[in-house]
Amino acid sequence: MTEKINRRTFLRRSTAAGLLSFLAVSGLSENAYGLSDEQEIGTVIDITKCDGCRDLEIPRCVSACRQKNKGRFPEPITDIQPYWPQKKYEDWSDKREVTNRLTPYNWNYVEHLQVDYKGKREDIYLMRRCMHCDHPTCQKLCPFSAIKKDVTGSVSINEELCLGGAKCRDVCPWGIPQRQAGVGLYLKLAPTFAGGGVMYKCDNCRDLLAKDEKPACERACPKGAILTGPKKQMKEYAQRRAEEIGGYIYGDVQNGGTSTFYISKIPFEAISEAIATDKMAQKDTGPGRPLMPERVDNYLESEKGIAGAALTAPIAGAALAAFTAYKTMKGEKVDE
Amino acid sequence: MSKKVLRQSRVNRFIHWGTAISIILLIISGLGQLPLYKRYNITKLPGGEWLGSFYNTLDLHYIAAVLLIFVVSFHLVYHGLRREFDILPKKGDLRESYLIIKAMLTKGEEPPADKYLAEQRVAYFFIGINVLVLIGTGMVKVIKNLNGVTLPQFIIAFSTHLHNLATVLLILGIGAHLAAFIFKANRPLLRGIFSGTVDEKYAKERHPLWYKRIKMRI
Repeated sequence: MTEKINRRTFLRRSTAAGLLSFLAVSGLSENAYGLSDEQEIGTVIDITKCDGCRDLEIPRCVSACRQKNKGRFPEPITDIQPYWPQKKYEDWSDKREVTNRLTPYNWNYVEHLQVDYKGKREDIYLMRRCMHCDHPTCQKLCPFSAIKKDVTGSVSINEELCLGGAKCRDVCPWGIPQRQAGVGLYLKLAPTFAGGGVMYKCDNCRDLLAKDEKPACERACPKGAILTGPKKQMKEYAQRRAEEIGGYIYGDVQNGGTSTFYISKIPFEAISEAIATDKMAQKDTGPGRPLMPERVDNYLESEKGIAGAALTAPIAGAALAAFTAYKTMKGEKVDE
Repeated sequence: MSKKVLRQSRVNRFIHWGTAISIILLIISGLGQLPLYKRYNITKLPGGEWLGSFYNTLDLHYIAAVLLIFVVSFHLVYHGLRREFDILPKKGDLRESYLIIKAMLTKGEEPPADKYLAEQRVAYFFIGINVLVLIGTGMVKVIKNLNGVTLPQFIIAFSTHLHNLATVLLILGIGAHLAAFIFKANRPLLRGIFSGTVDEKYAKERHPLWYKRIKMRI
């Protein structure tokens, strides 16, 4: 059977074939990366692969993050008031170009260090951002519940609700969230006396994860040093990789576990010490350049016992009351 | 020395002071969950340094909460079993409270009172409801803080906002409770909550309905 193919039929069939192949390649019927907004996501940051984009002024992961989030960066009022009765306030709006630490305008950065290890001086490039903890103290202790943890594990700040007290930074073992004054809800309440702005930090590109897309930093990395995927797989991969190189993992147990797994062939204690030394040399005491201490306890873990007492106190109170009431009703003199 | 009558039993005083002490500690430590002690230089006052640690104040908040929950539960069960409901509000208490306050201000005559004045019953109800809301939402917050527990965000946010609102209302309620003693007429009651007894003359004059009942019991 022969069929005459005219120009219109040809075009129709070509378009259909094109569409079908596009759907097959883009994998719309299933998750391209195995990411979904219903499962825990983990990130491996492999320091052994990162060269800090030495040829560039700003590493690609940092530029990508800034580019993706620029619409969310704070635009503060011009006459920002100090945090009365203090004389200071935190304003980064005239330092937006800073890319070598965490600021309200820079939610990740690459720490370049030289670490002496096994008699050799090694250059290390370390991308830092929020660790997205399993039990985030920032989220649990925010007095206004302005921090949320998604099922994916992404921890994000609600910029509309945040009053900028910076408690989240104080209770974060790494002091990650950074504050910008002169912006946010507190301006509508009592800006002189309460509140301090809005806190900003990485939200793990939760909008992209929800669309089964990878975070901007990972997509921009030319070395494959950042890898996001189902958390269990990422953790296993980090363990395998650390074994392969005889190296170390950071983030798997710290603060009771996080969803970020750094891999390094140099112990993190040495890395943390190098950051501390560098900060001291530069007299850098400001926030936004966290260390990497080996031991990070989750404080809320220590409250377990007393939390149990609080939850059983009603039973204890009721039992004693029943006993005392029974005695007094029987005429024994306990109630005078 | 004038004759005294027992007004507040040992159990009642334990409940009142247990609640009062734990609530004072809860307010101090609860305010410490906001970043205000450092900002307002309270931490620079002698002995105030510990207030600057969110974790110190959280520990104290938990301990004081255990005491409060214990006492409140004790109170509800104890007085429930004994069917002692003198302090629960009655119909018309708001109007009667107004009449009592008016009488105190104008030195007029008060309506005859039972064991508790109408405004005491109203104050109990207002403070009691807030305390129950604070305990309920506080328990949700304790559960939320347990490692491994992830509650839905709307439950966390709802309990947080309600906890904060009830705190403000409770502080106002306690302020009004203490302000009652600005009036001289109320001061004989102070003795009752400290030592348990009040002057018989006071009881007879101001709480005639209650006085009649206790005399009948004897």
